[in-house]
Amino acid sequence: MTCDELRDQYELYALGVLDAAERAELDEHLHREGDPCIEGVRHARELVSSLASLAPQSPPPARLRNKVTGLVAEPKRMWSWTLVWIAATACLAVMAVWLNTSRREEQRALARALLDVQSRKVELARLNEAFALMNDPAAKQLVFGEGAPKPRGRVFVNPKQGVLLLASNLTPAPSGKIYEMWIIPKGGKPLPAGLFQSQPNGTAMYLREGAVDVATTGAIAVTLEPEAGSQAPTTTPLIVAAL
Amino acid sequence: MTLLPLLFAIYVEGDDRDLAERLKRREPAAMGELYDRYGKLAYSLIYRIVRDTGVAEDLVQETFLRVWNRAQGFDAERGALGPWLLAVARNRAIDYVRSSGGKMTRGALELEAAEHPTVFVNFEADVLSQDRARRVRGAMDRLNENQRHVIELAYFEGLSQSEMAERMGQPLGTVKTWVRTALKNLREELREKAITA
Repeated sequence: MTCDELRDQYELYALGVLDAAERAELDEHLHREGDPCIEGVRHARELVSSLASLAPQSPPPARLRNKVTGLVAEPKRMWSWTLVWIAATACLAVMAVWLNTSRREEQRALARALLDVQSRKVELARLNEAFALMNDPAAKQLVFGEGAPKPRGRVFVNPKQGVLLLASNLTPAPSGKIYEMWIIPKGGKPLPAGLFQSQPNGTAMYLREGAVDVATTGAIAVTLEPEAGSQAPTTTPLIVAAL
Repeated sequence: MTLLPLLFAIYVEGDDRDLAERLKRREPAAMGELYDRYGKLAYSLIYRIVRDTGVAEDLVQETFLRVWNRAQGFDAERGALGPWLLAVARNRAIDYVRSSGGKMTRGALELEAAEHPTVFVNFEADVLSQDRARRVRGAMDRLNENQRHVIELAYFEGLSQSEMAERMGQPLGTVKTWVRTALKNLREELREKAITA
């Protein structure tokens, strides 16, 4: 195909959503020095970069900056990350040799497995935090939805570590909506405690980190809210766990 | 007013160039500055895709660490640091959503190519400016509902045109027309506004 015929595909290429055959065709053009497609794809990448501004502004938690800078600030941690990356690079190098001698389908399966391991590592870290909170003797356990057909589960309130919600039968929030947790002080207004989504199978695990004053807290609740979250509940709570 | 974009370009481009050099020298303080400059945008983008604050925090860390570890391959003179970081952030988030939903993710080699630092060179300086963000949002508002929806599915969910057709229950040809028209309108509106600005 000529560059004129490929012009409509520049942005799709930059978005990474072209089918393999279409992508390969454009790749060929991009490897030719002076090919007009190169400039076209560069403009397309600029346009795609600008689309990031369509995401509604969500302020990150203040602790995130420390977590990010901590990744490289502490020599001990830096060393451990270096080891991780050296190991990961070595694994990738070995796999690259293997991939070159294997069929394309096998390559795809390996890449999927790698990404699966990455996402499982993220899940494992979250589970570790949850177990630490649950196993603390100071944690208070609340049950909600017993005998009811809709959301049921447990809430663990740990005065030092935060609030952990484990729920089942919680249908994934529809498009444009999200679940929001509330900490309700006795006789006070509900305080927003973070946003989360449930899994396609209806289960949800959400951990809100930070100290909680158990003596003054009356209940933990969950409502369905617009995806940017709300400062006060706008719907009837789906989950209420009284302390 | 006409000098503003020029001043912005000189100021921001200069800063990013210096920051990129410091990242290449592996100065830990540069990581903090990188976060101050792009952390909020990266978190907002990732959160819009994964819709879970805990996962978004983990993926932001993964994004910044990836950029830190690959800064050696970045061209500080000609490279666009912000667009590169946001591309890494988007890829991490889309791959997380696709893998947790049991869908096929993009291959590791393809991903490697899409976010390689050498891809993000010779960009216009205002790609992530407030003014351009306003123009992008304005151009999106002028698309019809279907056109806007397909652009969001492609950008925030990484769906191919075939996957969009399946998701929307529409013929592939119809979806391709919406995508083509939407991108053409966005392209032309941004170009027109850039010329008249």
